[in-house]
Amino acid sequence: MTLPLGMKTHTGSAMVMRIPRTIDIEITAQCNLRCSYCYFFHNPEVDYRELPTGEWLTFFDELGSLGIMNVILAGGEPFSRHDLPFLIEGIVRNRMRFSILSNGTLIDDKISAFIASSGRCDYVQVSVDGSCAEVHDSCRGKGSFDGAVRAIRTLQRHGLNVAVRCTIHRHNVHDLQNIAYLLLEELNLPGFSTNSAGYLGTCRLNSADVLLNIQERQTAMSTLLRLAETYKGRISANAGPLAEARMWQHMEEARAQGAPAFPNGGHLTACGCPHNKLTVRADGAYVLCAMLAHSQLGRINRDSLADIWQRSTALNQLRLRRTTPLSDFAFCAGCAYTPYCTGNCPGLAYTLTGKVDHPSPDACLRRFLREGGTIA
Amino acid sequence: MNKTDRPVANPFVVLREEFDDWAVLFNPDTASAVGINPVGVMVWKLMDGKRSIDEIVSEVKTSFEDVPAGVFEEIGIFVDTLAEQGFVGYELKQSNT
Repeated sequence: MTLPLGMKTHTGSAMVMRIPRTIDIEITAQCNLRCSYCYFFHNPEVDYRELPTGEWLTFFDELGSLGIMNVILAGGEPFSRHDLPFLIEGIVRNRMRFSILSNGTLIDDKISAFIASSGRCDYVQVSVDGSCAEVHDSCRGKGSFDGAVRAIRTLQRHGLNVAVRCTIHRHNVHDLQNIAYLLLEELNLPGFSTNSAGYLGTCRLNSADVLLNIQERQTAMSTLLRLAETYKGRISANAGPLAEARMWQHMEEARAQGAPAFPNGGHLTACGCPHNKLTVRADGAYVLCAMLAHSQLGRINRDSLADIWQRSTALNQLRLRRTTPLSDFAFCAGCAYTPYCTGNCPGLAYTLTGKVDHPSPDACLRRFLREGGTIA
Repeated sequence: MNKTDRPVANPFVVLREEFDDWAVLFNPDTASAVGINPVGVMVWKLMDGKRSIDEIVSEVKTSFEDVPAGVFEEIGIFVDTLAEQGFVGYELKQSNT
């Protein structure tokens, strides 16, 4: 199936841009940490190989010529690349802005000053999972907390926007209030975002030790709702307990009132990524998403990005996922929440069910309630 | 803005052509972006520092049908607005001193 350039997808309002605005780039497969819930490593379908500087610079030239606006550099750990300044120069030269996702431990004054001098950095995101070393290091390794906090202070000193992501798991679920205090009061960050460890990558090997059970999930949801009320507008989430708590409350209210279906409800509409961005793995493979790292669409510097974006059958199929009604799935049969449900993350759907075009069981409200969860 | 002014598109600004010949101008230095229509796209491409506003308007008139009488003023406001936002510059005139 091929969608001609500029054609509307089935959803009517969901136009596909001629070229994505953002490209997610796993700039390296190297990382100095081995976090027990990492989604990146231990994917048997991924070739953890590095590309030389020149290949990335050639690719950035293509991005620049196409009018890509932003790249998000992830990994692995982007700061483990010693050629990072050259790569950033390539991004700047091609009239793009950038963001970097990091564990923070390799960030120092020199690289912070360099990034600040580029004038093109939207933010550096540092992962902070605990209010102290004991909690943070439990899944990330000794010394990582000190490194993350030091990185935040260094980046702040250089006037860079610092974003923080807190991944919630069994070892920090009772530390959330302290984490909020550390980030918002002591480090004076404008806000931070949350998600939770998911059944992906390395986490699949450690799921019993890492993933929240129903009670812990319930605790995380109620705690985060309370903290979000205390720190209005400063704690955000696109996935994980806080996002679920908000969404599920909304869904339960709608069900109880017999409200009409949500505009995006009743279909696999959760993921908007294939309409906005594309991902490149560390080995140069285009993939649908970092969470669908097996889904190779082509290779950089061999296959045209524009061609893949506009004509890839797999990508267009993922875009059309949003036209699939939940009523097609036995998994959803008889569920009163179907008109309000979006099916959630295709990446987790794939790792849990082996199918991309399936609702994710992980974020199923009915299942959560059946297993003993409650909605506040 | 005068008829003889020769505007120059900021070379750091990215023109992203989107649907139906509309486009987005993106300034990576400020992260600001503005949407422009097909006439705006044509004007943008003609702002090379060599053409005057008057010459740009003439070229627009030959490329589009039903061009309104106030096109010079409209394009002038468009270029001035872009200039205020750093998307466009004017060549500095040489001083005789």
